This record gives sequence, structure tokens and C-alpha cells, in this order.
Amino acid sequence: MIFDNTIAAIQELATFQTLLLMTVGASAGLIAGAIPGFTIAMAVVLTLPFTFGMEASQGIATMIGVYVGGLSGGLMSGILIGIPGTPSSVATTFDGFPMARNGDPGYALGLGVWSSFFGGIISTMLLIAVAPQLARIGLEFQPWDYFALIFFALTVTASLAGDNMIKGLISGALGLIIAAVGEDDINGVKRFDFGFEYLGEGFAFLPVLIGLFAFSQLMSDIRDRGSARKALSEMKDVSIRIEHRRAIKTILADWINIVRSSFIGVFTGVLPAAGSSISNILAYDQAKKASPTPEKFGTGHPGGIIAPESANNATAGGALITMMALGIPGDVITAVMLGALLIHDVVPSPAFIADEPKIAYAIFIAFFFANFLVLALQSGALRGFVLVTRVRMYVLASIILVYCGIGVFSLNNIENDMWTLAVFGVVGYVMRNLKFPLAPMILGVVLGPIAERWLSRSLALSTDVSEFFTHPWSLFFIIVSAFSIVFSWYQNDRGIKPWTVWYAPLFLLSVTVPLFLMGGIFRPVLAVVLIGIAIYLLTKLPANLKALRERQ
Amino acid sequence: MKTLDRDTIVSILLLLFCGFLIWAGFQIRDPQFGELPPAAWPQGVSYVLTGFCLIYFFQSLSRREAALAAAAEDTERPRGIIGRLRHFSNPIACFALYFLFLITLPFFGTLIGGTLLVFLLLTLLGGAGPRELLLHALIACISVGAMWSLFTFGLRVLLPRGEIMPGI
Repeated sequence: MIFDNTIAAIQELATFQTLLLMTVGASAGLIAGAIPGFTIAMAVVLTLPFTFGMEASQGIATMIGVYVGGLSGGLMSGILIGIPGTPSSVATTFDGFPMARNGDPGYALGLGVWSSFFGGIISTMLLIAVAPQLARIGLEFQPWDYFALIFFALTVTASLAGDNMIKGLISGALGLIIAAVGEDDINGVKRFDFGFEYLGEGFAFLPVLIGLFAFSQLMSDIRDRGSARKALSEMKDVSIRIEHRRAIKTILADWINIVRSSFIGVFTGVLPAAGSSISNILAYDQAKKASPTPEKFGTGHPGGIIAPESANNATAGGALITMMALGIPGDVITAVMLGALLIHDVVPSPAFIADEPKIAYAIFIAFFFANFLVLALQSGALRGFVLVTRVRMYVLASIILVYCGIGVFSLNNIENDMWTLAVFGVVGYVMRNLKFPLAPMILGVVLGPIAERWLSRSLALSTDVSEFFTHPWSLFFIIVSAFSIVFSWYQNDRGIKPWTVWYAPLFLLSVTVPLFLMGGIFRPVLAVVLIGIAIYLLTKLPANLKALRERQ
Repeated sequence: MKTLDRDTIVSILLLLFCGFLIWAGFQIRDPQFGELPPAAWPQGVSYVLTGFCLIYFFQSLSRREAALAAAAEDTERPRGIIGRLRHFSNPIACFALYFLFLITLPFFGTLIGGTLLVFLLLTLLGGAGPRELLLHALIACISVGAMWSLFTFGLRVLLPRGEIMPGI
């Protein structure tokens, strides 16, 4: 079965057109990722209009090329100009930039390029091994469980909110409202249309997304005359050569660092809303702690490049595991990919791998191949990056603005979509300036209609609301959602306020209830193990509370 | 009465918007079939949003003193309507040009309208000296021409055509 699906996926992807599209996507991702201010999410969003005319697997493969390229591209600017191209390469600059300034830019780039590659390959292997196993659980899901799962995904907005949680929650709820405009899926009744045909049709996902993210970002980049006319760098040296052999030797000698960092990356990617911006710093921190020479970190230590670069690429595999096995977009990029699947009438859900094995395995293969592709393209992209950094910001912004308009028009051949783009560009810009995070809004727009559909299906089967608490998976996700909502407060108060010491044992004890309800052998045994851990934590509780009070 | 800080004003505007949403939720037609009426979901979300906005409002009131003090210390923050307009002049002008492009799209079409838009944006943001004008015209023609060709011939998308030159 797995073999058949893999062969079918390879046949689907092994066409000249798909390979060319992936190559172009990966090159564009590499350059976009290398340019500070152009996030990977923005690059993936801008790729969406092109993928509309393609087959679903072809479109997703192109986007994966951009995604993997973007993750690897961030290291170029981080190492060469000291400004991380994306937040996922922040930690790379700690040692990459000093190493480049010490006269070893080719070695630093080599370490970054190959660490990204190995991180990507390790995460691909985990993706292929774990996602189908997790997806089998999806076949047990009923409408109540699906709704609870989407509800859990919506609570992720609290974690995506950043510093100001309430603004994030408002942003998420506004996303749900935007998605509710227009005809509802179940009854075909128009909502919030106020007699306008334009509103009655609802907002297409893509123009909203590009408007909120890309359009508003460009406006921020050219806000004043000075920043608009600035080029990213005046770098003239295009003759930097990546030192492959020396870098591979160092990486193989430091294989524990690579494996540890990759696992950190995958694990962070699996967690909704964590992402590569966190994993690279976590991996750097662990590498420094484990190093016999931690004092050399920050001065150009190879381990300080290997750890963040392998972790940030590995995060992509983790995020894809959550997206494919559970149908939950863990971050903006996977949310965009889910949106792309929706455009192709593929509804992401826990049954995705079973229902659409061809597309699912195409994602595995594309992700695996993209890592090789990006490795091969790095040298060329380095030259492209140096050239792009000389282009003034206003030139890039002006051209991309028009491209955004043409791109969204191509989605449905409707001029109204261009208006939607502009309107949400204004909305996004205003929200950015008022410090409202945009990621929760995107999540609301993507998940809103899916949540409503599953709620409707649940109620069609039974109007008894207690069903949500009696179905084990539904109960499991409701419990996890409750703890997920409180998690941001927990993170802030941990080690400061006494209530936080109760969080972990209570969480473990709570999730054992649905695990027992699920029956079988493995899950009740797992529940017993969790109870054991919870009891252990509870026995430590008085000591922890005492230590906390003493510290205060 | 002391000045309201930005968060308080935003929260009041959001609350007004919530009130409007709740009112609009009651205007949604109920077809009298199905367990989940079409208005239920948007109304539910509207109430949740109202709850969040109320928390935001009270939070902003409790933090008002600190917010006002921070705003007073922030020297880069624009003051007054004129100051704000000047501060955001580039984005405002760009948005205005973009909307103008959309309004004139049926007349100019994508190729001419897009080229004009890129040229005007470049000139607005990059200056209008003779050398710049020539360079901007070149960039506009090449970039939009390439994009238009890619979508028209490569992706077979029928981009909007204008009355001025119906062929393109």
C-alpha cells in the first residue's frame, strides 16, 4: 500500500513541468527567504496564484519548494550581512555573521547549507514514518471529534497572539467573522451581505490572505521616503564560494548536534503555533549547553550554525506532520497550504492521508526532493541574493503590488477579488500599526468555515450537546483546548506564581480520562503511565511551592 | 476629562462594530430547516468578539496612565491629524493609486493600467528627475509586460481588458 502510493506519487511529480516548477519555487524561496522583511509566509502566499491552475499535488509541491527554499535562504543574509532573512534564522547570525567577518564566509555558508540539508532529510524520514501512523487515528473520528479538534486549533490563536493575548484573540475572532460573510455552506443563505452582491458572494480566501499579509507588509516597508529608497545592502562581492567539503567534515564530526537539533525542530514543528522562529533558538541554546566550549559560542563557533540551521529546516517536517495527520495548520505557512488544498476541493482533515493518498505521498516526496533541490541551488541563489539586495525597496514593492493584483485575479477571473485584496491590504496595514497580530486572523479565516461545517454535521446527528463530552476524542480535545488557552499565562507566570506548579500534573490527570474511555490496550496503559508521572509531580509539589515562596 | 489613549479609542470603535454585527446577525434569514440556523455561527462569533472587545476596553482603561506616559515619551509618534497624515503619506498615496488603478481598470485594462500604476508608484516613491522618469518607465514596461505575458500566454489567464485598447 505504502509502496504503491509512493510510486503513484513519484509518477505524479516526476514530470518535467513539476520539476521545473519546484526548481523555480525553491529558487524564489531561497531569494525571498534571504531578503529581510520578506517572510517565508509571504513568499508562499505569493506563490498561491500560480498554483491555482495546477493539479493539487503539483501546486503543493511548488509551495513546498518555496517553503524549504525560504527556510534555507534565511541563512544567507544572516551570515553575510548580519540581518536574519527570516525569524527562523535569528540564531544563525549569532555565530554565522562573526565567522563571516573573521574571514570565513564560505565555510559559514557551507555549514549552514549542509546543516539545513541534513535537518530537512531527518525530518522527512520522521514525517514519512510518523504521519501515516498518526493518521490512522483520524479514521476513528466522528463529527463531534472533528469539531473539537478544530476548536482546539482555534485556541492556538492565543499562542499566536504574542505579547498581547487579547489583541490576538480579537484578531482570530475577526478572522471568523470575515469567513462568515457570504453564502453559508449548509443552507445557502446570505449573511452580512447588506444587499450587496459583492458581499453576498463572500470573500475568497486568497485575496484576503495576500491583502492582509503581503500587501500590508509592503506598505510598512515603504512607509517613509528613507526606508523606501534604501537597498538592503551595498554588498559588491559576488565571488564568495561555499566550502562544501570542509563543512561536511565538520558536520559529520558533530553528528550528535545535528540529530538533537533536528529532533528539536521536528518536535517544535508538531506543536501548533510554535514554528521555526522558536526551534532555531531552542536548538542553539541546547547546542551551547551541551558543548564543551560554550564560551566560544557567539564568536563564530561551527556548532552555533549547525544547530539553528538543522532545527529550522526540520521544523517544516514537523509542521507538515500536524497538517497532514490532523488537518491542523500549525503556522501561517501550513495554513496557506491548507487554503491551497481547499482551492483544489481537497478538504484537510484527520482522514486526509487515507482519503487522498496520492496527494499525501506527493507531499512526502516533494519535501524529500526539495531538500536536494535547495542544496543544489544554493550557489546560484547566493549570486541572485547579492544582486537583489542592491535593488531599492520601492522598486521591489511597486512591482510586487501589481503582481499581487494580477495574481488574485487569476484565481477566479473576477475583478472583485482585486478589490478584496486592496480592502484587506488597508485592514492589514491598520491592524499592523495598531499592533494586532495577523496570524490569528488568518487561522480564523481558514478554520472558521470548517468548524461551522462540522458543528452543523454534529448537530444534524444529535442535538444533545453532551455528545461533545462523551466521545473520547472530542473530550480529549476539549480538555487540551482548555489547557491550551491557559498555556500563554502559564508560560508567563511559570516560576513566579504558585498556580503554575499545578498546571502539568492537572493536565496529565485530565487527559487520562478520555484515554481510558478510548479503550483498547495501548491507550489505557498510556493513561496509567501519565497518572504515574502526575503522581510523581504531585509529590514534588510541596518542595516546588516552597522553593517558589523562598525565591519571592 | 483626560485624553483617551489609542487602545481605548480602538476598543470603543471595535465595540461599536460588534454592536453593528449583532444587529446584522438578526437580519439573517432563517430558512426554518436544519439544526444549525445560518445566523447561529456568526451570532455566536459576534458575542465572543464582543466579550474580547470588552476585556480589551477594560484592559486599556486600567493601563491608560502607563499608555499615555509611554505615548508622551515616544518622540517618533506622529501628533495631530496633519502629523499622522504626513507620517503615513507614502502608504496613503500608494493605496489611493491602487484604488485608482482598480477604478480605471475597465478603461485602461491590466497591461496599460498596471504599467501606469508601477510607473506612478515608482515616481511617487523614488523621485521624478529626468533620469529617474526614464528608468521608472523602463522598469514599469518590462516588469508589467513580463507579468502580463506570463499570465496571458503561460498560464492562459484572460486578464481584464480595457476600452481604450480592447485587444489587450
